[in-house]
Amino acid sequence: MIRRAAVALAALALVACRKLPAPGEPLAGLTPAERARFDSGRVVFDSIFTPEKGLGPLFNSTSCAECHEDPKPGGTGDEVERHATAFHPDATGRACDELASLGGPVFENQVTPALKAALGIASEPVPPQATAIAHRTTPIIFGFGLLDAVPDSVILSYADPDDRDHDGVSGRAGRNFDGRLGRFGRKALVPTLLEFTEGALNAEQGVTSPAVPDEPTVGGQALPPNTDPASDPELSQRQVEVLDAFVRFLAPPAPAKMSSDARRGRELFAQVGCNRCHIPALPTGDNPVRALAHREVPAFTDLLLHDMGPDLADICLGLATPSEFRTEPLMGLRLRKRFLHDGRASTPEQAIDQHGGEAAAARMRFIGLSATERAALLAYLQTL
Amino acid sequence: MRRLPFLLAFVAVAGPAAAQRSPHDSVQGAVRAVDVRGRTIEVTTSVGMALRVVRLSVPADTRITSAGAPLAFTQLKPGDIVRVSFGSRPGGTVAYAIERVGRMEVAPGGGQ
Repeated sequence: MIRRAAVALAALALVACRKLPAPGEPLAGLTPAERARFDSGRVVFDSIFTPEKGLGPLFNSTSCAECHEDPKPGGTGDEVERHATAFHPDATGRACDELASLGGPVFENQVTPALKAALGIASEPVPPQATAIAHRTTPIIFGFGLLDAVPDSVILSYADPDDRDHDGVSGRAGRNFDGRLGRFGRKALVPTLLEFTEGALNAEQGVTSPAVPDEPTVGGQALPPNTDPASDPELSQRQVEVLDAFVRFLAPPAPAKMSSDARRGRELFAQVGCNRCHIPALPTGDNPVRALAHREVPAFTDLLLHDMGPDLADICLGLATPSEFRTEPLMGLRLRKRFLHDGRASTPEQAIDQHGGEAAAARMRFIGLSATERAALLAYLQTL
Repeated sequence: MRRLPFLLAFVAVAGPAAAQRSPHDSVQGAVRAVDVRGRTIEVTTSVGMALRVVRLSVPADTRITSAGAPLAFTQLKPGDIVRVSFGSRPGGTVAYAIERVGRMEVAPGGGQ
């Protein structure tokens, strides 16, 4: 009996002492082979591209880690990029033109010396057809592999596009151009994490891959000769696969220890109604990677589009109108220095103050809290 | 113009099974524009935030369907989600078959 109790105590101590993943570390429970792919992918993530190695000619950054750098690779950064589209709400058919035939919607901030010499531009010009230019900060991608593993059916279970429950919150699913459910990106356009990564290689670094073997254009025009010295694809399938493994296996930041104030704040988070869109936990489904299967993701998002009101509105994209944004995951919120999609808020409180549209009622309830209660809710957010 | 490689790769992302069954390449995306007189369509596709527009000519003998029923070329509209099998000819990329599989939905308030 005593021995059994001792064994149980030892097991408990072992669990208590098990170190939770720090930012930038992999998920617990990876196989040695998966861990090896994660480590190999980290090398690609950190690689600094040059024009000879595939950078550009149009690009926003020279490596994944240049933007996703703080506090560790996979985190956030201080870069802000430009997206532009044209929104014509009275048009027949689609009202959103992503300006894809003119090089959009990502208009890169930098060009290689060769392209600058050929065209005399320092960045990709936004065409006059654009009706809005949006600024986008670097998202923290810790835990995105788990978000990728959430079944579509779970996301759709939270959708209420016609607000049938009359709570003023009416999330709807984003869709890709091919009809698949979108979940990544501020406008929920991108269906899978692999595509998110492959697209970012191309749109952010001008690096081609087997999935996207051609370069972005300048205003829809082919690149001038001799401005792209590397042969396509500039990244091999194997390199893409390990890069995907690194991104996919990044663990979500472990929640910080909660004070009594933060525990009260957790109750207020629900009481105010933040949790109607920022769903605290989403389940993953079946997955070939055991560490991703049947887990609870501390996501704090429903991965749906919500109307956030005219003050936050910028561009349309896919199904999202200018004022619609996918609920931002709050995983790792305490690691951020700028808030909202364009970084306009420097504190979580400022971000809450700017919530409009479907979130206006929750914002008003937050404003109606006492100063002590608001501080408690903000203390809770600092544990995420 | 280096769009065809993108399309070929997109097949691997969006429709490998269909590609294996078909002697042609295929792509699935949203119709951006229909030029009835010129008999061309533009289809928007994406891999992540890398977006491309594919222009395809649509000869009179191209089979166009929706839910198995024939569809006139003039019935294709911007916002239709289509699966297109295509091939390259000297004049450009030609659609062999177009299947309308859905619509980009309309937002509340008529946004889209």
